[in-house]
Amino acid sequence: MPSSFRATIAALTLCRASRFERRAGVETARGRPAHGIALLLTVAAVLSATVHGATGETRVPQASQAASAPADPADGGWPMATRDYANTRYSPLADITPANVATLKPAFSFRTGVKHGHEAAPLVAEGLMFVVTPFPNRLHALDLARPGAPPRWTFDPQPQPLARGVACCDGVNRGAAYDAGRVFITTLDTQVVAVEAQSGRELWRRRLGDISRGETITMAPLVVKGKVLVGNSGGEMGVRGWIAALDAASGRELWRAYSTGPDRDVLIGPSFRPYYAADRGTDLGEKTWPGEAWKTGGGNVWGFLAYDPQLDLLYHGTANPGPWNPEQRPGDNKWTSGVFARRPDTGEAVWFYQWSPHDLYDYDGVNENVLLDLPFDGRRRPVLVHPDRNGYVYVLDRASGQVLSADPFVRITTSTGVDLASGRLKYDPRTEPRAGQTVRNICPHSPGGKDWQPSAWSPRTGLLYIPHQNMCQDTRVYETSYIAGTPFVGAEVKMYTGPGGQRGRLTAWDPVSRRPAWSVEEPFPVWSGALATAGDVVFYGTMDGWFKAVDAKTGRALWRYKTASGIVGQPVSYRGPDGRQYVAVLAGVGGWAGAGVTHQLDARDPTAAKGFAAAMKDLPKPESLEGQLYVFALP
Amino acid sequence: MCSRCRERCHRPRPPRPALGLALALSLPLALAGCEREARRLELPPSAPLAAPSKAGVLYPGPYASAPVRVTAADPVVRGQRVEENAYAVSQGKRWFRWFNCSGCHAGGGGGDMGPPLSDDRWLYGHELPQVVASILQGRPNGMPAFAGRVSEEQAWQLAAYVRSLSGQLRSDVAGGRSDAMGSGEPEQRREREVPRPDAAPPTVR
Amino acid sequence: MATRIRPLQRRPHARGPEPRTFAAAALAALVLGLLPLAAVAAPPFGAGSQDALRTGGPQAALILDLWRLLLAVCGVVFAAVMAAFGVALWRARRGTRDTPPELQGPLRGEPRSARLVAAATGASAVGLCGLIVASVLTDRALARLPLSNALHVELTAHQWWWQARYDDADPSRTFETANELHLPAGRPVLLTLHADDVIHSFWVPNLSGKKDLIPGRTATLALRADVPGRYRGQCAEFCGLQHAGMALEVVVEPDAAYAAWAERQRRPAEPPTDPQAQRGQRLFLAGTCAMCHAIQGTDAAARRAPDLTHLAGRARLAAGTVPNGRAQLAAWIADPAAFKPGTNMPGHRYAPEDLDALVAYLETLR
Repeated sequence: MPSSFRATIAALTLCRASRFERRAGVETARGRPAHGIALLLTVAAVLSATVHGATGETRVPQASQAASAPADPADGGWPMATRDYANTRYSPLADITPANVATLKPAFSFRTGVKHGHEAAPLVAEGLMFVVTPFPNRLHALDLARPGAPPRWTFDPQPQPLARGVACCDGVNRGAAYDAGRVFITTLDTQVVAVEAQSGRELWRRRLGDISRGETITMAPLVVKGKVLVGNSGGEMGVRGWIAALDAASGRELWRAYSTGPDRDVLIGPSFRPYYAADRGTDLGEKTWPGEAWKTGGGNVWGFLAYDPQLDLLYHGTANPGPWNPEQRPGDNKWTSGVFARRPDTGEAVWFYQWSPHDLYDYDGVNENVLLDLPFDGRRRPVLVHPDRNGYVYVLDRASGQVLSADPFVRITTSTGVDLASGRLKYDPRTEPRAGQTVRNICPHSPGGKDWQPSAWSPRTGLLYIPHQNMCQDTRVYETSYIAGTPFVGAEVKMYTGPGGQRGRLTAWDPVSRRPAWSVEEPFPVWSGALATAGDVVFYGTMDGWFKAVDAKTGRALWRYKTASGIVGQPVSYRGPDGRQYVAVLAGVGGWAGAGVTHQLDARDPTAAKGFAAAMKDLPKPESLEGQLYVFALP
Repeated sequence: MCSRCRERCHRPRPPRPALGLALALSLPLALAGCEREARRLELPPSAPLAAPSKAGVLYPGPYASAPVRVTAADPVVRGQRVEENAYAVSQGKRWFRWFNCSGCHAGGGGGDMGPPLSDDRWLYGHELPQVVASILQGRPNGMPAFAGRVSEEQAWQLAAYVRSLSGQLRSDVAGGRSDAMGSGEPEQRREREVPRPDAAPPTVR
Repeated sequence: MATRIRPLQRRPHARGPEPRTFAAAALAALVLGLLPLAAVAAPPFGAGSQDALRTGGPQAALILDLWRLLLAVCGVVFAAVMAAFGVALWRARRGTRDTPPELQGPLRGEPRSARLVAAATGASAVGLCGLIVASVLTDRALARLPLSNALHVELTAHQWWWQARYDDADPSRTFETANELHLPAGRPVLLTLHADDVIHSFWVPNLSGKKDLIPGRTATLALRADVPGRYRGQCAEFCGLQHAGMALEVVVEPDAAYAAWAERQRRPAEPPTDPQAQRGQRLFLAGTCAMCHAIQGTDAAARRAPDLTHLAGRARLAAGTVPNGRAQLAAWIADPAAFKPGTNMPGHRYAPEDLDALVAYLETLR
């Protein structure tokens, strides 16, 4: 721990101690309170900390592309939604422990004034907390140094309201990204905007897509080697997916890799070495589709991105193929529902693995890839761990793309396993959708065993904390027309609770022994992210508004707090300017699971919100539909 | 013939006024049913409505180059009142699926990306001409403009079907049980949702 | 007074026609009516393109053979029955005016008649059993059509048009067309049959028997067309207003010609070069057409109406209702209800130059 902070803590402790003594009427040996000396020390410590902070965290845009600062924020910040490039969401702060978490209290809060699902992760950098709201995607910078953390500035990108009508699953935003004094946000109407972190001044903005064709952006960008990486949404509207890199300084587009189409569009070249034979060939992004169906084929990149600086590989998932009705697109439908490893400098693909070839159930492949080094077969291997929509936790060798293991973490009726020799998912023909027929008991349902909500890893326990759901569905597919700007789905879905009767779960998964260590059941899907801390406490939120802390080793419930609205955001933990550990989360129910409440849908129609509205009929109406940031600390 | 036979067979029957009355009364009812079932299939085609400027793309929002003039009264469209004609409403149900309305508003009108159509909240008016205007002109929060993309007759049929989703139509005109998986009650069994008077469209900013 | 039941007997002059005369007249009418059938049972009658008696493949041939056997056996039975009927009427014993009514008319059977009836019944039963055996054998033969190297076609029936998707092991080589099937001569075809809305039935009499297309169910039909030619098929299950206007044209051609046609079908539509056609394409995409129709190579990818990518190469429009030609195409687009009342395609009062441009564009879709 840096000396400045130690000094600060010491000073504050003295300060507090002296205040206590005063209140208690106890005087020091000298007959007068020691708070004067404490005050001097505090001021000195704070001054030194500020100076240290000013030089330690660059306040001016960096010209070099050294990827040092965001890679491992040892200073207790949270510069990107995933906390680090490895997507661990693990906070090294250990002040909050199972022993004292029960005393956690709200330190301050902030109302966003925006309705709909608040899925973002609050970022912390340079003494500011950056919060992006759902549409209209306002970016607030809260001054953590001042009491109550009032907003220092608010940036309003003013996205077009027309975008709201083409957002499949609520007009959410999953967070901003901070790098070298700049904050980057995406907007629902496909813009990327860079603002100066300290002042909120707009530096540049780029529009990357076309909302009239149903294209939107909801994901949290990642900044790697001076490049801002973003991907689009819109698979339910027949939008062709892509990932693009913009220059962080100017916003100029450096490269764009599509998820379908010829190799030159997908940026597949001589470096491409997929592990499995099914992924080798030329122009598979065209050949595994009928006719020109790849042009409306989906494969969007709306999940979290990961980066391995040693291998210099960027990992991103691709979403479901369009339409949901699989009979309109025979073939493997590359390169959808899979994971790419690409070089961030040029975007060229190095390897690819398809979680769900010819996806039948809207099993997007965009869930997080947690980069870890785990023992496998006696030696440590660089792997990525990925809980997929199709219900399996995959462990892949992240250098080659080989599947090392794939084990179910929920009840699965749609497939019988993954063949490790060919890498192929083995579908169960009994649950295959057929046009004009209702196929029942499809588990997991379309949002998957786990949807976007990100898991967290603790190196101390060796467990991956997966927030997810336990639900099944009935599906009926039918022919659907592609009409640009309208949905391209072709499926009706009715969702219901899975076996066991509880719709949500937090599972602590051991990827080495390949089974759950423990799991906690919840009445509603756990649609929030998870947070793991070095204090061995895991945080998550529920859709009915409880922010909970459980013991990282056993899952025992330790603490909970009722917020004004359901929680679908990503909890973060940071060290405030005062040296204390804080835990922050956005409350504001919405997203696909909460669409019924936030859009006031009619749950009498079981297919409303693609089946979710009726399945969540009993979700209590929140106190307030508006979002609110909650920040907690030990007293 | 034998006289006895004649007696048996030709005994004067007592007058039956009730039968005649019943016949007289049922005739207008039968005729009224004709309107419900009438299918005017050979009407001359209508003029195409002005299309949005950019080819091939459904621009959400009020992009129709010519405003659609609708009157407040329930119009007689090309010889038939759509809301009294079961065929027109069933065609509207067909278009609801064909043109992907069910993609945004869900198969039974419960809502998804677009607001629900089966409840009592109307953002831009619940009268038939107002619904037609919303369909043809588009609306600011993402409803595409379908002027020029659907024929005038199709738009009226669609609007009538949309109103049937909240039970505004008579049960003998609204649709029956769908063949789809299950989108709630059949339209003809839905209770009429009295439109709320003070619903306002969401503010744009 | 004692009532004597007076029979309701007509007086001789009001009796009506003589039974014998009546029987003779009826028999004559039946025989005359059946004569045309006899002629038809002979080999090819005219040049029938929708003709179960002019077979183009083994399935139809098997069915025709069974049908001929059925006709022969049933014809013999029918003739025998008619003969017996005639004899019975002719030789019926009639009573006189004084015969009680219950004893009038043909009297009780005689022992000789009883044996005759028994023999006839026995013969009929044997005949029927024979027909059952023949039917079973025909079914087996129909099911055993060798399917090696079969062409897979997925046929989906809509109100009131046929959608055909030619499948391939390589998904990028699948293509779609509508209302006109091309098949290679001599190669087995496996049809997978779906229906989109109501029950339809596939029937190309020259090639095969009927098979229903039922929504929610998948049926298969195997056939092979050996004789090149153009055959007309028809929806054979009442499916709504235009059930009669739902024809399916099957063009059977040699392998090479079929392969060339299939390659053309796989290609997306070329962008038009002529300015009038370009204007027509803009109208197509900006108007109501692209809401239901698809043209590969453009943004139009709707699936509610026939795929038009190669419209100009088809012989007929609107599922056989309208011949394909510039004037007919224009008339059809302007007012489909004039040709097919009840069709789901809306008509528009296009400006003449707009209609011309549209037709010019569609004519480029070879």
